Amino acid sequence: MLDVRAWLLWALTVLVAASSCRNPLYVVLLLLIVALTDVSFSAEKERRGFPSLFRFAALAVPLSAAFNALTVHFGETVLFRLPGWLPLLGGRVTLEALVFGLMNGLVVTLIFGGFSVFNRVTPVHDLVRLAPQAFHEAGVVVSIALTFIPETNRSLNRIREAQAVRGHRVRGLRDWLPIVVPLLVSGLERSMGLAEAMVARGYGAVSDRSHPLRLQLLLAGGLLALLSGWLGWLFFPGPTPLALSVLAAGVCLVVGAVWLAGKEVPRTRYRSRRWRIRDTLVALGSVLTLAAVQLPIPMIGRDTLYHSPYPRLSLPSFHPLMALLLLGLLVPAAVAIRRRPR
Amino acid sequence: MRRVISIAIYALCAAIGLLAFLYPFLLPSTPKAPTAMAHSQDAPLTTAALVGLSVTALLVELQGQAISAKTVAMLGVLVAITSVLRFIEVVVPLPGGVSLVFAPILLCGYVFGARFGFLMGAFTLLASGLVTGGVGPWLPYQMFAAGWMGLSAGWLGGIALVRGKSSHRVRGLGRRELTLLSVFGFGWGLLFGAIMNVYFWPFATGPANQAWSAGASLGEALARYGAFYLATSLGWDVARAVGNVALILLLGAPTVRALARFRLRFHFEVHPRA
Repeated sequence: MLDVRAWLLWALTVLVAASSCRNPLYVVLLLLIVALTDVSFSAEKERRGFPSLFRFAALAVPLSAAFNALTVHFGETVLFRLPGWLPLLGGRVTLEALVFGLMNGLVVTLIFGGFSVFNRVTPVHDLVRLAPQAFHEAGVVVSIALTFIPETNRSLNRIREAQAVRGHRVRGLRDWLPIVVPLLVSGLERSMGLAEAMVARGYGAVSDRSHPLRLQLLLAGGLLALLSGWLGWLFFPGPTPLALSVLAAGVCLVVGAVWLAGKEVPRTRYRSRRWRIRDTLVALGSVLTLAAVQLPIPMIGRDTLYHSPYPRLSLPSFHPLMALLLLGLLVPAAVAIRRRPR
Repeated sequence: MRRVISIAIYALCAAIGLLAFLYPFLLPSTPKAPTAMAHSQDAPLTTAALVGLSVTALLVELQGQAISAKTVAMLGVLVAITSVLRFIEVVVPLPGGVSLVFAPILLCGYVFGARFGFLMGAFTLLASGLVTGGVGPWLPYQMFAAGWMGLSAGWLGGIALVRGKSSHRVRGLGRRELTLLSVFGFGWGLLFGAIMNVYFWPFATGPANQAWSAGASLGEALARYGAFYLATSLGWDVARAVGNVALILLLGAPTVRALARFRLRFHFEVHPRA
C-alpha cells in the first residue's frame, strides 16, 4: 500500500533512532510505535497470535541484562557479590549494570521490530526494483533466484516423493544425498535452458563489456579515502573535520562510481510505482524524527536522548517536544487506520 | 594496470572489513577515546554503512567484468537452490548454528572461481534474507562474510589447479582436496560466527563507555569479548563448523562432479549471423 522507498526510510529511521537513543522512556515509546505499526499492518488472522516482537524481547532482554550485569562491575548500588576467583564474573553485581543491560536488550528488540515490520509489509519484488541501475545484473540474478525458489521447492518435494516411492527414507544426513544431487542437477539443467533462452533473446548482446578504467580508479580511490578517513578519525587526535571530510569524499566517490556504472548502459523500467501523497507523509514524518535525533537543533531536548545509569541510578529525564518529534514514525500506522474499511 | 587496480580494490575492501572487525577493540586505546565516546553511539551504524559501501564497491568491480547470460542464469538458479536449503533450516530447526547454505557456497566458489564465489555468497544471503524476512542492518555483514567465503574458496580452487595434479574442474574431487576443503569449511564456520558477532558486539556492550569509565584496556576489552563469545556463540559456531565439514564430506564429491560437468557444458557460444 505504501511505497517501498517510504518504508525503507521509515525502517532506517527506526534504526538510527534506536541506536542513538539510550533513554528508557523514549525507547519504550519507540517500541510502542513499532508495535502499533506492526498491528495496523497485519492481516486480521495474524493479529491473534502473540506478536513476534514480544517473543524476541523475552529472549533478548534477559540475556543482555544478565550478560551486562555479570561482566560489568561498575556502579554504586551493589546487589550482591560474586567470589573474586571467578575470571571476569568475579566482583560486585550492580543494579546500574543490570539496568544498562536491560536497555541494550530493549534497543536490540526495537531494531529487530522495525525491520521485521519492514520485511513483512514490503513485497519482495518491489525491493528488488530498488536496486540502482549499476546493479542491474545483480537485480536480474536476485529476480531469477526469487522466481526459481518456489519452483525449486516443488522440485524438492517431487524428488522426495519419487525417492519415497522407491523405498527411500530419510533417517540421517547421508540419506539426503539421493535427494540433493538430483535437485542440483535438475536445477542446473533448468538454468541451462534459461541461459539459452536469454542468449537467444539477445541478453547481454550490448552490455557484454567491462567497465572503463576510470570507473575502477574511482572505486579504488573511494575505498582508499574511506579507509584512510576512518583510520584518521579513529587514531589521530588532530582535527576531526579533516578525517570526516576525507570519509565523506570516499562516500561520494563510491556512490559516484555506482552512478557512473549505471549510466553506462541505458535501461528502461516498466510499470514504475507511483509516489502518492501518503508516501510523502510517511517520508516527512521519518525525516522529522531523523532530524530530531541526529541534527543539533536547540530547544528540543536532544540531551535527554542519552541517559546513563552510571554511576548511580537516576530517573531519566523526558522532554515532551522530543517525544512529539519521535511520533513522526507513527505516520504509517495513522495512514493505515484512516484507510481501513469500516 | 587493470589487474593492479583490481587487486587494490580487493585489498582495500578486505582492509575495511578487517578494521570493522577490530575497531571495537581498538577504540578504547585510541588517543581520542574521550571525544570518541560522544560519537560511539553512532559507531555501529557507521561501521555497518562502511561495510555496506565496501560490499557495494566489490560488487560493482566484480560485475564490471561483464556477467554473461550464462553466468546470470546459473547464478540465479544456484542461489535459488541454496536459498531453499536455508528455508528448510528455518522450518526444521537444526542443532546449533548448523546451516546448509555455507557448504554450497564453498563448493561453488571452489569449482567456478573467486568471482562467481563472491557473487554466489553475497546473493545467496541477500535472496534468502529477502525470502525469509531477514533484511536488516546485519545483512551487509552477512553478505560481506559469505561473499569472502566464496571468494577465498575460489582462490583455494585456483591454487589447487595451479599446483597441478588435481583436475577437479573436470573430474571431481580427490581425497586430498576433500580434506583440504573440509578444513577450510571448518575454519570458515568459526570465522563467520566471529564476523557476525562483531556486528552484534557494539549493541551488546552499549556505547562502550561503561568499560572505559571503569578504566578498561585493550586486554580487558578482549577478555570481555572472549566471555561474550563463549557465552553466546562458540557452541553455535562449532556446530556450524562441524556441520560444514559433515556436509562437505558427504555431499562434496558428487556435488562437485555435477558442477564440473555443467561447467563444461556451459561453454557454448553464440555466433550471430552478420
